[in-house]
Amino acid sequence: MKITKRSTMLLGVATAVLLATAGCSGGLLGGGGDGGDGGGEESGPIKLALVVPISGSSAPTGAYMENGAQLAVDEINDDGGILDGRMLELDVEDEACDAQQSVAGANKAVSNGAVVSVGGYCSGATLPEIPIFEKANIPMIIPAANSQDIVNQGAKNVFMINGTGKQQSTAALTFMKDQGFKTVALVDDNTSYSKDINTETAKQIEEDGSVTVALSTSVTPGESDYSAVVRDIMGANPELVYWTGYYQEGGLIINQLMNAGYTGKIMVADGSVDASLSEIAGAGAEGVYATMTQTPDTLEGAEDWIANYKEAFGSDPGPYSTQSYDAVRLAAQAIEDAGSTDGDAIIKALEAIDGFEMFSGPLKFTPEHTLSSGGFVILVVKDGAFVLEDDLS
Amino acid sequence: MPRRTSPKRPTASVTATVCFADPKRILMVQVIWDGLFVGSFYALIALGYSMVYGIIKLLNFAHGDIYMLGAFIGFAALTSLGGIPATLSIGALLVVMLLSMVLTGGAGVLIERFAYRPLRGAPRLAVLITAVGVSFSLEYGIAAIAGPNPRAFPIRLEGNVFNIIGARISLPQIILILIAGVLMILLNFYVQKTSTGRAMRSISLDRNASLLMGINVNQVISRTFFIGSALAGAAGVMAGAYYGKIDFLMGFIIGLKAFTAAVIGGIGNIKGAMLGGLVLGFVEAFGSEWFGGQWRDVFAFAVLILFLTLRPTGILGERVTERV
Repeated sequence: MKITKRSTMLLGVATAVLLATAGCSGGLLGGGGDGGDGGGEESGPIKLALVVPISGSSAPTGAYMENGAQLAVDEINDDGGILDGRMLELDVEDEACDAQQSVAGANKAVSNGAVVSVGGYCSGATLPEIPIFEKANIPMIIPAANSQDIVNQGAKNVFMINGTGKQQSTAALTFMKDQGFKTVALVDDNTSYSKDINTETAKQIEEDGSVTVALSTSVTPGESDYSAVVRDIMGANPELVYWTGYYQEGGLIINQLMNAGYTGKIMVADGSVDASLSEIAGAGAEGVYATMTQTPDTLEGAEDWIANYKEAFGSDPGPYSTQSYDAVRLAAQAIEDAGSTDGDAIIKALEAIDGFEMFSGPLKFTPEHTLSSGGFVILVVKDGAFVLEDDLS
Repeated sequence: MPRRTSPKRPTASVTATVCFADPKRILMVQVIWDGLFVGSFYALIALGYSMVYGIIKLLNFAHGDIYMLGAFIGFAALTSLGGIPATLSIGALLVVMLLSMVLTGGAGVLIERFAYRPLRGAPRLAVLITAVGVSFSLEYGIAAIAGPNPRAFPIRLEGNVFNIIGARISLPQIILILIAGVLMILLNFYVQKTSTGRAMRSISLDRNASLLMGINVNQVISRTFFIGSALAGAAGVMAGAYYGKIDFLMGFIIGLKAFTAAVIGGIGNIKGAMLGGLVLGFVEAFGSEWFGGQWRDVFAFAVLILFLTLRPTGILGERVTERV
């Protein structure tokens, strides 16, 4: 009797462990490296760290980013690699949009011998990675995360090839003025990225003076019922609601606003630009605006690239596929320019880059290591999909 | 630049419009209604918490994930049924809800049998940690099977919106509150009037004495887990159909809220759990009304701390006598 009990317990523990590891197998599989064979060595593959969300609520975007990066790696390797024939290799680690996970992922990538980091989606998860890569003197080319907090760190190894929160807020304000919105409600989800756009937009609106902030509030992410914020918005009665969080809560809030009889307009920030937004929000998502950097399907002349992507992965590219693709190409270019995998040399090479062609246009970093122009455009939901509304030029 | 004409938005079947005569008074009615609606979800889930605590003194932290499991079973069942005409959606939803209740109830029984029963004589802390482990197993088990992405529920409850003294009250809300109410009345009848219910109450008073009286304690505990889990499963399907989105972590916060509701009402007390759910719904609604939406959870959990300090037995809880 005693033994049976114990064995049942052991079985339970074993199952739990199995289930737990199954949950993060993406991250484990992606590791693939065999410990300390460093990219700092003179031969063998050059490893690029890609810390992106593979599990958790932002996992779909992580897959888009991984595919985009892999496409660039394959193209460069087919052309004979870099530094006289050395191959590129992605070291994919899970960020899970969570600070603890991303720190673990970044540490693993460093010990696997990565020489450049080309990942970073959720700003709250990317921020704690910065000191880890900085200490290891590994340059970070961040394709997606764009909180002003990352810029404010002032780390010399950080380069951002997505527009910043500030630039996104400027785009939002420009559009509000173009459309003649007088009152706006700003709603964020209390994450670093989202709060950043909210406060930055509020600041710019105040400086500009032609739009009024009727309400500025936050919600707790991960819940289902947002009736409290919906009531607040209905009470403030703004002409536009600007939601700066991610698409899950965004979809729920849009749906609940529509059910509450809201008749004004809604705009979302780039974290909510995902096909699932209109699935969750239902019919209410039609006509919702978004501030977003160019995606492959809104870019002109990207058809060939989309076709290559589809051939390689059997699905359409999504948000941040192009930026991740560019991040890998940029990393390869910088290593080639530097002539070595030494961190300082690569950072110098990145700073010196001028006119490197990317989807967002020719690249030259500002002294803060950000893009000189954010490249934000306005999208609108039409028949359940985001299409270009206004390129703000 | 002139304002562009917006694409015509399909209005579903929403018909009524709001006319604000006296905004302040009317808003209060809306606040009360919103609190009642959310509170009935909390109450359904708090019941399982409270019943399990009452009978084996275990805080079953996996309970919120049973709610999530219920939503995913509903999702799988509705997806496999294929397209359902809108007129049948309420009927299909009820059938799927019953199916989900049976399966989540079964899952609850299995969890108790394999995770909690072997530890029945172990220190309380060991069982508590096991419950946290079960919670993670359920969450990441579902994430491994169904994928980590949120899913849009195949059925979306939509219906007329009534304008009752200024509050917008929709038909789906009324239906869901009715379902929750019926389930709670049935449960109350079961616990108060049947012999199993009497056995449950006697075990919660004194397990050893009940054993000596010839009550099959293990069977009654299994039934308690079945009922509590089935209620959470029902709430999961209802939430999926009403809010339209499910994901593998959806049970976490609502589990904490249900725990709060159970404590407010008096943990271990069935009527207390129902009352606690409604009270928490009102507390949240009024808290966010007075202090702003971002203070809602601060307010809700501050009330939990207040109760734990000032009246740990909750509103309806009886004074606990220490038995030596």
